[in-house]
Amino acid sequence: MTTPAAPQVTHSSHSARAQLLIALGVLGVAGVLVYGALSIPSDAGYGGVGPNFLPWVVAAVLAVCGGWLLWEAATGGFRQLEEPSGAARGDWPAFAWVSAGVLANAALITSAGFVLSCALCFALAVRGLRLSEGKPVGGVRQTVIDAITGVLIAAPVYWLFTKLLAINLPGLTGTGWI
Amino acid sequence: MLETWTHLMGGFATAISPINLLWAFVGCAVGTAIGVLPGLGPAVTVAMLLPITSQVEPTASMIFFAGIYYGAMYGGSTTSILLNTPGETGTMVTALEGFKMARSGRAGAALATAAIGSFVAGTIATVLVTLFAPLVAEHAVKLGPPEYFLLMVLAFLTVSAVLGKSTLRGLTALFLGLGAGLIGMDQISGQVRYTAGIPEFMDGIEVVLIAVGLFAVGEVIYNAMYEGRSVCEMNRLTSVHMTGSEWRRSWPAWLRGTALGFPFGTIPAGGSEIPTFLSYATEKKLSNHKAEFGTTGAIEGVAGPEAANNAAVTATLVPLLTLGIPTSVTAAILLSALQNYGIQAGPQLFETSSKMVWALIASLYIGNVMLLILNLPMVGLWVKLLKIPRPQLYAGILIFATVGVYGMRQSSFDLFVMYGIGLLGVLMRRYDFPVAPVIVGMILGPLAEAQLRNAMSIGEGKWGVFLERPASAFLLFIVVLVLLLPRVARLWQARRGGATPAA
Repeated sequence: MTTPAAPQVTHSSHSARAQLLIALGVLGVAGVLVYGALSIPSDAGYGGVGPNFLPWVVAAVLAVCGGWLLWEAATGGFRQLEEPSGAARGDWPAFAWVSAGVLANAALITSAGFVLSCALCFALAVRGLRLSEGKPVGGVRQTVIDAITGVLIAAPVYWLFTKLLAINLPGLTGTGWI
Repeated sequence: MLETWTHLMGGFATAISPINLLWAFVGCAVGTAIGVLPGLGPAVTVAMLLPITSQVEPTASMIFFAGIYYGAMYGGSTTSILLNTPGETGTMVTALEGFKMARSGRAGAALATAAIGSFVAGTIATVLVTLFAPLVAEHAVKLGPPEYFLLMVLAFLTVSAVLGKSTLRGLTALFLGLGAGLIGMDQISGQVRYTAGIPEFMDGIEVVLIAVGLFAVGEVIYNAMYEGRSVCEMNRLTSVHMTGSEWRRSWPAWLRGTALGFPFGTIPAGGSEIPTFLSYATEKKLSNHKAEFGTTGAIEGVAGPEAANNAAVTATLVPLLTLGIPTSVTAAILLSALQNYGIQAGPQLFETSSKMVWALIASLYIGNVMLLILNLPMVGLWVKLLKIPRPQLYAGILIFATVGVYGMRQSSFDLFVMYGIGLLGVLMRRYDFPVAPVIVGMILGPLAEAQLRNAMSIGEGKWGVFLERPASAFLLFIVVLVLLLPRVARLWQARRGGATPAA
């Protein structure tokens, strides 16, 4: 999962290096599929097509696609590329904040409980998104407000799922309220 | 015919029970809200709510999900008209004329023709579903595994190769989805594939995980990285009503839009993009007010595509319910909701789950009325949603994403995977890979594989089975046609004009 930033002013989606890496990634997936397919028995019964047939087809097609993408990337870039909306270059600090939010949530949800963990995720992500708009991210006061907003969104969702729909979500306590 | 009527009345009896009415209403309201809000679509919303399938009975949850699907189309047009950022691909065309109308102070009329047009088209399309779905189901019983397999191949091809800009990137996305669908236990032989010894992978990868990762988390990260400085101006909402001449210009467009949209929804042609564009082109051609197109905004250009969109969305239920073949991403996720209940979508559905199917169809009539009320007199309420600041909106989406993914399997490992898939989603969007084929490939892949292997068993291991049966030979011909036609057309164009470079 590597996306190198294009240093030039050109739109980052035209970066040859990134396109090459994507093509290699597709080839890598094809390789993994081939490796896995080797261990699937071909026993087809009387059908002629066994459980390893589709894996080989998918692996082969992805290998061809990956190779083709590689060729396109090396010879002037992906064809018919529609430039995506938004800025020409990525905002990495904003990316880091949002990523931190999602990953912290994944790491903490079982111990801190759904509500608090999501509130933390919300506060971190809001910071990143605000940063991306070029607005001040806010001091301690703003962060506290963000965290409370996060709780105010997460808590009703939590109650709705645990109390009303009886779907298991982790809590800080076993009460199902927090 | 009489039988259909009896079934439909039975469906209404189920659908108007207070609890089902409540589900329909909540579905319509949630659908409208997420349609209005940029960043969330019906597919990912239904995906996030898939965990409820473990608790809520099938009829209620299908009514709920259908309400979301429908509601998102109504709500999406509001955003297209007022913000010029279409919430859904289906409402993209609405933005063309709708936004221009709103800019010249006719937002109210544009919203009215969109909502009423959606209602008219949705209702007509529901009547057509009522009439045709049982008929199709009756004939579909005769189809065997070879025909089903080819129908699914057709769905794969249209969603990946025909619609996108690049066939190569579309196919790459499709086969990534097919690859994801391979993980887990093989349906026919019970053989375990690609689990890498991880027990969580035995049952396969959850659709929720992929859909939420690609659409929700990917969208949030993409927004943080690239869209921070994109500015959005919002048009002022004017009173929602149409003048007599606007009515006269709207209703033929609604009917033409419906007539275009419905057939496209029933065939695997990738949902509502094609019919909405066709409808727009038709209205532009037929209009007596050509000067308004692209300048002050022509009401026909909103009325037609909106109707086409809703007719197509409703019509996707025909192949979904009668054949078990989804023609849009949301339909694919509805299919996986049915799978969660162990319900096999297909011609037998009208026999085995007759009560649910008819309640669902009846709820579409009711849902359309609810949505008309929600979107006309109460449009001001939904417009307020657009005032939610962007950072809070997108950060909030992450909370809902967590509910969906964690609620499905109670595994925090899945949340890490979700993040990884979110990054993949950003890459795909940035480098112009379509995302829909991943979802369709993943959900439909295992079904297609089962049909292929059953077909080969019938043919005693010979591929000739696809040619020997007339119906499947015909479908094979269509598949080849779909593959070749766009290329031949492009070549022909290139030879004539010499301007368009062939890829």
